Amino acid sequence: MKTTRAEREALIAAATSAHRARDADGRVLPHPAWLDLDADGRRAAFDATELARALEAAADARGLSATGRAVLARIAL
Amino acid sequence: LSLDLDMHLPAIGAGDPESFALWMAGAEPPLRRALRRFAADLDTEAVLQETLLRVWQVARRVEPDGRPNALLRFAHRVARNLALSMLRAAREIPDGDAGADLADEPRAPDPLLRRALAACRERLPRRPAQALDARLDASGAEPDAALARRLGMTTNTFLQNFTRARKLLADCLRARGVELP
Repeated sequence: MKTTRAEREALIAAATSAHRARDADGRVLPHPAWLDLDADGRRAAFDATELARALEAAADARGLSATGRAVLARIAL
Repeated sequence: LSLDLDMHLPAIGAGDPESFALWMAGAEPPLRRALRRFAADLDTEAVLQETLLRVWQVARRVEPDGRPNALLRFAHRVARNLALSMLRAAREIPDGDAGADLADEPRAPDPLLRRALAACRERLPRRPAQALDARLDASGAEPDAALARRLGMTTNTFLQNFTRARKLLADCLRARGVELP
C-alpha cells in the first residue's frame, strides 16, 4: 500500500525514537514504524535519527543522546 | 580533536556505569555512522542499543593493546557481527560485504553547539517545543503514544510537532554556522 507524504514523515519521525520494545529474551526489537518504511524511507529515518541524536547529545550535560540514556537505563535494571 | 576513549576503560572494567556513559557519549556517533550501510535493511537504532549493551557486558575482558580506542574498535566488531548475523537471519546479506569498518574516530564535543542549541530551542513554537522536550526527557524509556497522551495530543499530532521542532532547530543551528550530520 502506498503511503502519503504525511504518513511517510510520521513513520520517519516515529522511527527516530530511542524507544525499542524487547522480546522474551530481552533482545531489542525493530521499531514498528521502521518496519513499515521502504528502503528510501529507512535511509531517511537513519539520517533523521543521526541528527536527532546529535541534538540530544548537545543538550545533555554528559553529552549523552537518548540512545545512550536508554542503554544506561537498561544497565541499571 | 580526536579522543582516546580508553581513558574510561579501567573504570568501565570495574563496573562503573557513569564511566560507560562518558564512553558512550564519544563512541555512539562513530558506531552509528559505521552502521549507515545497513540502514535500508536493519533498524540500526536497535542494532546500536544491542551493541552497546553487549559491550558493557564484556568490557572488563577488553585489554588495551597500545593503540587508542581499543574498546571502540571492539565495539565496531560487535556491531558489525551483530548486523551481519541479523541480516543472515533475514537472508539479506549485501553482495560483496568485505566487512570494511570505518576507522572513524570519536571527537571532542563542540562547546558552542550547546549554547546555540539552547538559543534555538528558545525560539521554537510552544507545541513543537513540548514534543521535542518530551522526547528528550523520555530518553527512549516510553513509546511516543505515551508521550503524546501526556501532552494531550494524538500520536500523529505529536509526531508532526516533533518533526517541525527538529526541522526548525536544524535550520536555526545551520543559520548560526553549526555543522550538523
